[in-house]
Amino acid sequence: MTQYAKDYSVGELMCVTLAKEIEDGDVVVLGSFTPLAYASYILAKITHAPNITLLAYASVDTRPFQLSFTRAEAAATRGAALMWTMLEDLNSVHLKGRGDVEAISSIQADQYGNINLSVIGEYDTPKLRGPGGAGAPEVIKMHRKMIGYFPSHTTRTFVPKVDVITGTRYVIGAKERVKSGYRPGPIRYITNLAVISKEEKDRPFKIDSLHPGVSVEQVVENTGFELEVPKDIPQTEKPTAEQVRLLREEVDPYGTIAFDFKSGKERLEYLNEILQKELESIGY
Amino acid sequence: MPAENKVAKLSDITKIIKDGDRVAVGGSWLGSHPMAIIREIIRSKIKNLTAITVVGSIDIDMLIGAGCLSRLMFSFVSMEAFGLAPNFRRAIEKEGLPYDEITGLAVIIGLEAGGRNIPFLPYRGPFGSDLIKYRPEFYKNIKCPFTGEDLIAAAAIVPDVAIIHATRADHAGNAQIEGTSGTDIEMMRAAKKRIVSVEEIVTDEEIRKHPEKTKIPKFQVDMVIEAPLGAHPCSCAPDYVFDPWHIMKYMQAATSPETFRQYLDEYVMKPEFEYLEAIGGMRQAAILRRLAREVKFL
Repeated sequence: MTQYAKDYSVGELMCVTLAKEIEDGDVVVLGSFTPLAYASYILAKITHAPNITLLAYASVDTRPFQLSFTRAEAAATRGAALMWTMLEDLNSVHLKGRGDVEAISSIQADQYGNINLSVIGEYDTPKLRGPGGAGAPEVIKMHRKMIGYFPSHTTRTFVPKVDVITGTRYVIGAKERVKSGYRPGPIRYITNLAVISKEEKDRPFKIDSLHPGVSVEQVVENTGFELEVPKDIPQTEKPTAEQVRLLREEVDPYGTIAFDFKSGKERLEYLNEILQKELESIGY
Repeated sequence: MPAENKVAKLSDITKIIKDGDRVAVGGSWLGSHPMAIIREIIRSKIKNLTAITVVGSIDIDMLIGAGCLSRLMFSFVSMEAFGLAPNFRRAIEKEGLPYDEITGLAVIIGLEAGGRNIPFLPYRGPFGSDLIKYRPEFYKNIKCPFTGEDLIAAAAIVPDVAIIHATRADHAGNAQIEGTSGTDIEMMRAAKKRIVSVEEIVTDEEIRKHPEKTKIPKFQVDMVIEAPLGAHPCSCAPDYVFDPWHIMKYMQAATSPETFRQYLDEYVMKPEFEYLEAIGGMRQAAILRRLAREVKFL
């Protein structure tokens, strides 16, 4: 019988849930350094999906490595089977349609599968200038699955229509995707409250599962667009005791996953704590 | 004939980078940006540049904060886990810095087109993105002449100058990159003039021991500059990690133009060797190198 963890953080729950999206044999692109997503892929690689290919920074098929705040790039590089330029990545994975998962996050996401990493407000006179999408606007369409993770599920993030469409899934639905030269796969968002997904163009996002202790009303109230609410919604499977142990002792002993859930001054203090531990680990 | 020698001093970059140039800046995320050259651009007071970046961070933010840019082409500028880039945000939100936000693949494919000396390359681009509407000079909807399929044409990007940071090079400019090459190679191929800074200048015998590591041939390099720790506070994988302590200081300083001016005076507006002292010298370098060595696989 599966032994579930008695004590786990919402970050760990999201991490384990995202790891389940990874299937053995997948080609997984790591993108910008986002501890939660990185931890998920590495957890998948050392548990149920040992044959995935990880692409991190310039590395191809890097070994699973222990996360820290400063060392992901050095580890990925030292564990690489091959080193590629971004263009070689694009040619072989993205444009070829061989990518399976490259989880993204976004400032806003809407009911149509659009994301906004550009601006809040008017494009030419923005209230907030975001970082831009890097490859996200394109990869969410090209890869088999469009997976998003959102540490803060609110009506500010999930809006009816994004202010600016930085990128979009564009072709939604299995038949349409195949016809347009893409592999079929869902849009799925893993949040701090629930898992929601969209598989057909003309149907709304549906609640797949609710995290333990979260109600349907809470999810509906915090989502700025219509959701399909099935009669019986399962609870998101809790992390097992072993998954939590692996995360805390092997994958992420410095606690970088929690970083995404902190803000402002607290975030800075937490970072200083992590860095202190990293210094101690090398004998300083 | 004497042997080719493109080795120059950091201050010689003004022979190549001129006011008003379009400068492609190598490196990606918080890795391998040519920061010693960036600092020298600021010291030399080169102005009205258009910076071109795929995934930029402190390199672009610093150029903006120092007033060196009159335009920016980017797909992403962020201080990653440290937060949004403060000078970048302020310049766009408050000061109206003109910019071209282009999707990541379009910048990379545009540089590739530039390198191939053709005006565009087609791909299954970001259909449905508003950026196509906002910047039609970089995107066109086209039909495949063979199948009729809808495609996006990404316009060629030809920078006046490319600047990158590499692991080592010989005097002629054959440059090796051991870590994250990002779009450095495409930038060097596309640009009209190119500068590479390196951790170390070595003999051509040394380069020939590992030809597979050489990513840039000498004919795509116009100037070589030795700049140890030249990517700092960014990383140069796998030799050293980015410097989170310095980047935190930077983030604090960049919260206002006044405090950022103090940062520039304290760290940038002095000779590069004094910069290396100011950031903690040998001890700090040893920590960053040690972190990069001590990684653990599972």
